Amino acid sequence: MILSIKNLHANIGEKEILKGVSLDIREGEIHAIMGPNGAGKSTLSAVLTGNPAYTVTQGEVLFNGKDLLKMSPEDRAREGLFLCFQYPVEIPGVSMVNFMRTAVNEKRKYQGQKELTASEFLKLMREKKELVEIDDRLTKRAVNEGFSGGEKKRNEIFQMAMLEPSLSILDEADSGLDIDALRIVAEGVNKLHNDKNASIVITHYQRLLDYIVPDFVHILYEGKIVKTGDKKLALTLEQKGYDWIKDELV
Amino acid sequence: MNPLIINKEYTETIYLFNEAKADLHIVQQEASTLNLFVLHLTDLSCMQHIHIQQEGEHCRTNIYGLAVLKGKQEYLCDTLLEHQKENGTSTLIFKYLLFDEAKGEFVGRLKVQPNAQHTDASQTNRNIVLSDKAKMRTMPQLEIYADDVRCSHGATTGALDNEAIFYMQQRGLQKDLARQLLLQAFAEDIFEKMPIQQQEQARNLFTQRI
Repeated sequence: MILSIKNLHANIGEKEILKGVSLDIREGEIHAIMGPNGAGKSTLSAVLTGNPAYTVTQGEVLFNGKDLLKMSPEDRAREGLFLCFQYPVEIPGVSMVNFMRTAVNEKRKYQGQKELTASEFLKLMREKKELVEIDDRLTKRAVNEGFSGGEKKRNEIFQMAMLEPSLSILDEADSGLDIDALRIVAEGVNKLHNDKNASIVITHYQRLLDYIVPDFVHILYEGKIVKTGDKKLALTLEQKGYDWIKDELV
Repeated sequence: MNPLIINKEYTETIYLFNEAKADLHIVQQEASTLNLFVLHLTDLSCMQHIHIQQEGEHCRTNIYGLAVLKGKQEYLCDTLLEHQKENGTSTLIFKYLLFDEAKGEFVGRLKVQPNAQHTDASQTNRNIVLSDKAKMRTMPQLEIYADDVRCSHGATTGALDNEAIFYMQQRGLQKDLARQLLLQAFAEDIFEKMPIQQQEQARNLFTQRI
């Protein structure tokens, strides 16, 4: 088991957003989480990654058997949790190369591995750049600075390839992407997927799931997972909209 | 104090690295260039006055400054840049980092005289305040008496970007390291304008200071 969430409740300020989420994710699985705006989808990814804007009030999360909620955001990352941000942040003045080299080596140190030398690092970077088809142009600049929406998302996938997470969360990875950019992002995710890791794909629309095929689809509604199914559930949602779920719950 | 004169068509590069006691008055003659780098990276509290006059046509003035203030330190930098003749250009970027209970003040006076048509001047003051008790005051003052000129100014004061810090933490960087990278990036904007030989010295002074 990679991730086990039990009865997770979380607030932003005084407002409860997650109202008892439970979810188990095993090696090799892709889980889609769908739901209307405001259901708590992005809150879930923020809470799992340790965003300080949210407070967990109840529940338990085990990540590879360890208590995730007790860890700092950086330790969660070093343990193998990766968030592909909905809105990747621009960091002027911090070069992509230095940023990635620091990130890769911080993770290696944490896991008791030797740091990569400059040439080992550059070799790794070349391999991963080819794998996710990212331009030299992007990795030579400051982190996300002046990147288009598509370039930012591609850069997230590149970082994911560099850090080889055991669990990656893609938060609305398709927002703001045209169909070509979407395909490249999805291909990257598919190439990185294997039977040892897992992904959570958070999305409002079914569209992305044509390219990243999930094993499970969960519907998050008003802070709870109200329905779980296979990929067909996403198609039903696409046809009937979210009102159907609301009606069914009454 | 007699002003320092930069002769016609000469270029002068001046470094004031932790020498804030020295007030500066410089007169530029025709087609001369001044590059001025000011670093205030010591505990000294003081006022610093910098007065530049472009007395001839086609002068170029570049001023880049960085101050890191800590404890109860106070530092005021008062700049006056006078464009007196035609076709002068100037760029000024001044940055402050304020910790603890430090107080910083920046005065950016830009004067474009009636004869100074086709002046192109820009002034930027960016500040990061790292504690609730630190204070920054910034006063851009533009006096423009010519009508065919291009002058811009901008001043911002804010905290470190928490979203950027979280983003870096999510990639496995410790919070302190993330903060440090952001501070370095903030300063790098100034350092990269320097000749290579001085960049290293400036970076070292900065790293020791923060």
